[in-house]
Amino acid sequence: MPDEGWPADHELLRRHVAGDAEAFGELFRRHRDRLWAVALRTLCDPDEAADALQDAMVSAFRRAGDFRGESAVTTWLHRIVVNASLDRLRRRAARPALPTGDEQAFEALVAQDGDPARASDTRMDVDAALRLLPPQQRAALVLVDMLGFSVADAAAILDTSPGTVKSRCARARARLLPHLAHLQGNRSASESVSPAQGGET
Amino acid sequence: MTHLDTDVLAEFRAGLITGRRGARITAHLAGCDRCTALDDRLAGVSVLLASVPAPAMPDSVTQRLDAALTAEVARRDSPERARGDGAGESPTPRRPRENRGFRLLALRVLAPAAAVVVLAAGGYGLSRINFGSSTSSTASTAGGAATAGGAATAGGAATAASSAKSATRHANAPAAAPAGITPGNIVVVTSNRNLSRADLAQQVRAALLVPPAPGSTETARAQLRGCVLGLIGDHPPQRVESVRFEGRPATLVVARTGQGDTAWIAAPDCSATNLHVLDKTSLPSGISGP
Repeated sequence: MPDEGWPADHELLRRHVAGDAEAFGELFRRHRDRLWAVALRTLCDPDEAADALQDAMVSAFRRAGDFRGESAVTTWLHRIVVNASLDRLRRRAARPALPTGDEQAFEALVAQDGDPARASDTRMDVDAALRLLPPQQRAALVLVDMLGFSVADAAAILDTSPGTVKSRCARARARLLPHLAHLQGNRSASESVSPAQGGET
Repeated sequence: MTHLDTDVLAEFRAGLITGRRGARITAHLAGCDRCTALDDRLAGVSVLLASVPAPAMPDSVTQRLDAALTAEVARRDSPERARGDGAGESPTPRRPRENRGFRLLALRVLAPAAAVVVLAAGGYGLSRINFGSSTSSTASTAGGAATAGGAATAGGAATAASSAKSATRHANAPAAAPAGITPGNIVVVTSNRNLSRADLAQQVRAALLVPPAPGSTETARAQLRGCVLGLIGDHPPQRVESVRFEGRPATLVVARTGQGDTAWIAAPDCSATNLHVLDKTSLPSGISGP
């Protein structure tokens, strides 16, 4: 991702490390909507996302001196936010009885949100469908398909290889297909869910 | 060739299947309407996801983050002047999961006070910023009796006076938690304490009665944070202290578990995925205050 605005991100970070009281705020404000989107989509929970984003912001503020410029500042910021979000998911996974990631939860959400075929409900349906994905797949898909990061940048953010990002995204798209088919064009949901037979071999 | 599986097509689309296998898929798609349609719908997933507008950050979150940032800047600006002054009972951001309504309410109501939360979480009170809440302080016991003298040096007469006052008021209240330690901000106290296996509970009890020395706290690094959160689960953290155990480096972790507290001695390699505990003890109710 290119740095936006002036001064450049890395210059703001440098000023922050040098003691400038305003620099970090300007840097964070510049990117916070996207950082919020990452946290919210990864965690699927506004309260958790707010907690994660605050943790990440404080962490970035304090650890700015550790930034070595090996990646873009935005990549570094996103990495901190994604890690804070995945940390929370891991902790949540350790707790039982939270309705994420299963089909019943999805059905319940769709039912609660009303007619899933209504175009105005696209965002809710997408949000509900995202919950079906394992966290690592969801994080990769959010970065690449929803926020437009390149596979290489997403890999840097997720601290993994481009191949792994591609693979996680591919599995995530395949998983989401039947749940999002009703939102695509004017095809009906029943047409869209095509029973796959065997492999290609 | 049978029809293509969705997963296989998705991998193919992502460029993960090449060579002879990829060529066979290409050939199959060229002659199969059904799989081409599936391929189109798969492409449509990405198109659809890209079309969903990014959610706007709610105002409450914006305000909360701004307050936290202001507090961070203030903390960094004046760590010297900040010490010793009870910053007020932290309206701690620790919100029980089981109470969603409260969490939302707390977020809204406490947004203007969020600066106080983070100040306290950093282990410092800020004498130069008046948030007007220090009179109701109980967290000021963290800078209580044992450090009132130190506060006089670090924070000047006025600060010392207020600390001494609260220290008197809370002379009998143990100063267990560094002000505002929360699951979101694990503050580690560095000490020279050497704990041993025998009578561990008694030693931990003694440790909790001593407030952290000014400047002896820092935010836990990721590994330790993972370890602490893994150990305490949903229980409120009371103290995380870098100590020695049986002469070796270790971390004391104390959390409020039900009526009493539980203390763990974590090994240096303890992490979220490897909860390496050297010893564990429970402290009956009332040890670290109400």
